[in-house]
Amino acid sequence: MPIDMELEMVLRPPQIPMPPYPPKVITLANGKQMVVRQAEREDVPTILKSVHPCLFIERDYYDIVSARLYGELLAWYRYRVKSEYCLIGQIDGYLVGIVNGRLENAKVGMSYHTLAIDRGLRIGSHLFAAKMEYHIDYIGQDEILIVAESPIGFRRWMVEYPLEPTTIPHELGGGDSWLLTRETYLKAKSRLVVGDRPVPKPLLDEAMADIKFADDDTIREHIAGLKGR
Amino acid sequence: MRDVAILGVGMLPFGRRDEDTLMDMLAYASMKALDDAGLGNGSVDAVYVANMGGGMLQHQTSIASSLVDRLSLLPAAAETIENGPASGASAVKNGMLAIASGYYDTVLVAGGEKMREVTGWRATDFVATMTHPQAEYPYGITLPGMAGMFTRLYMEKHGVTREHLLAISLKNQEMGTRNPYAHVEMALDREGIYDSPHAVVNNPVAADPLHLYDLCPVSDGAAAVVLCTVEQAKQRAKPYVVIAGFGQATDTHTLAEREDPTDLKAVTLAAQKAFAMAKLKPSDVSVAELHDAFTILEIAESEHVGFFKKGEGGKAAAAGKTRLGGQIPINLSGGLKARGHPVGATGVAQVVDIVWQLRHELPENRQVKNATVGLTVNFGGFGNNVLAFVLKRVEA
Amino acid sequence: MSDIPITAYKCKKCGKIHYPFHDRCLKCRAREFETLHPAGQAKLLTFTQIFNLPWGFDERFLIIGIGEFENGVKAMGQIQADDIAGLKLGMKLKPTWAPIRRVYDENVYGLKFVPGA
Repeated sequence: MPIDMELEMVLRPPQIPMPPYPPKVITLANGKQMVVRQAEREDVPTILKSVHPCLFIERDYYDIVSARLYGELLAWYRYRVKSEYCLIGQIDGYLVGIVNGRLENAKVGMSYHTLAIDRGLRIGSHLFAAKMEYHIDYIGQDEILIVAESPIGFRRWMVEYPLEPTTIPHELGGGDSWLLTRETYLKAKSRLVVGDRPVPKPLLDEAMADIKFADDDTIREHIAGLKGR
Repeated sequence: MRDVAILGVGMLPFGRRDEDTLMDMLAYASMKALDDAGLGNGSVDAVYVANMGGGMLQHQTSIASSLVDRLSLLPAAAETIENGPASGASAVKNGMLAIASGYYDTVLVAGGEKMREVTGWRATDFVATMTHPQAEYPYGITLPGMAGMFTRLYMEKHGVTREHLLAISLKNQEMGTRNPYAHVEMALDREGIYDSPHAVVNNPVAADPLHLYDLCPVSDGAAAVVLCTVEQAKQRAKPYVVIAGFGQATDTHTLAEREDPTDLKAVTLAAQKAFAMAKLKPSDVSVAELHDAFTILEIAESEHVGFFKKGEGGKAAAAGKTRLGGQIPINLSGGLKARGHPVGATGVAQVVDIVWQLRHELPENRQVKNATVGLTVNFGGFGNNVLAFVLKRVEA
Repeated sequence: MSDIPITAYKCKKCGKIHYPFHDRCLKCRAREFETLHPAGQAKLLTFTQIFNLPWGFDERFLIIGIGEFENGVKAMGQIQADDIAGLKLGMKLKPTWAPIRRVYDENVYGLKFVPGA
């Protein structure tokens, strides 16, 4: 489909410039090293290949989280959303988690979603914390609006930071947003935000070279692994 | 009093079993045990079902009556047994006494729990209902909280360190990777959960001084055994397992009323009675399943049953004495830590695993060579109702 | 007269102090008791900081301990503190009777120990 750049200038929302997120590496409970880095817009089609199988997993609200994440990433790819970013977690080059959000203005951010593809390793916690680190420590924002679709998210964010309830509506019509302030973040940082920088070159090169992704069945099994008889 | 043998055993992999109802799990595990006993088309005289939470979590009561109907075991006698996390061992004990008394010849004992049907907060509350309703429960105390308070004192009095607790977590999760029935099949890395500064997120404090990986998971699952007379067991012309001894003891309900809260009197007494009945000693035990809902309990129980002196259990674990091939292998199933802890099922699953050990039916990476005597300890409440079994292999 | 409306029980025969209630003395099985309330400061026997709270609590954590009162009563209570760094086994705490949880939007009162008071 031909793109009319003059029309695009009308349809594309403005973008607030964002400094890059410096990659870091985290040691997980099983000893594996997870590289957390910023995804580029061009990475979206590959990332969506891992999000796609999650659309059909009801367990733990994976379906709605991935459906909304899919839309958000596609919107970013197709220049139809303001100031969105995406951070990903990779182990041995494989995509194990995705977080995204956007900037509402210079001082207020909005957390979108968190999707962990490998479970039982606090990948969601680590990546969510990385998002907050990005908003506050690197972009210099003061407040972030956050919502949760799943009880796991509620426990890890609303309860653990903790967040303040607000009456600010959810972007997509869900329950009202909660707020993380700079003050709460800084108090919680030492127990919730970890990672080593810089990432050792071989690890970073592997993560940057390629986003490897597991096949649909493996992803489904990792997320919704059914115990047999 | 007649001797009682174990004719058949079976269990389901523990974990999150969204696809099964509580009755499904009890039924599947029971059929496995009945088939293993050669009674797949047969009948039993009585059924005992261990379950703690059916009424609260599944809004279902009279579970044993439902199971006999589901399994077409009518008109067998049936009872549901609730003794907190020791429900499983209590059900085995009742089944055993039923046969020992001479009134019944064949008994099915099944234990099951479906804890993941509710959110973590509600599951935590359900478990906390074991605590004293006026003196403890209202404060928001949880079982990990009781264990945290106990651990603090045990560390102070007996010199247990976090390194000792770590040895238990690492050992049991490693064994979980070798057990296809285990809830958690992920080996832990010492750096990831302890040495690295990232451990603060990977292994956060749960109930100080206990961390996440000092606690067992919340699980769904079921296990079953078929008990019989020794005559029936002999008919199969192969080595079988007998319940050589059992013991049970209780202690004060509240932790505050124990003269010395680090003294698990009920564990000591239950084990002493079991060994006395079996005419055996702790040093005769080839392999043990001790109730490690919290890593501290494996250490404390290993001392209270007589494997190690007080204060030596943690050091022994750190030195590898309780690993496969060590002086006294403990929790080679992965224990509650990795196998999981569907509360009503645990006491039965412990017996199942020891039976496999004593029959020499396990793969080499879990099997204690020439195992002949096994010990189980099932810990109810926070140590206020404890059962122990000594199981013995009998050659054909 | 103690401010703490917890009823403890002293065996009339052997003097053993009980809380909560037992129909028979834990030591001598006698059945007659004098009632008393916890009195004086409490010595901290053990404590913990619990995360992952049961249903019904909105806090991030609770600090809970067992205190031994000067008149021999022992009881569990919440501890008022922002973290456990300042707590030590054996330290003295002031007992208060304060809200410990909310049930159906109403306060439920119980034992709350306050350090350093």
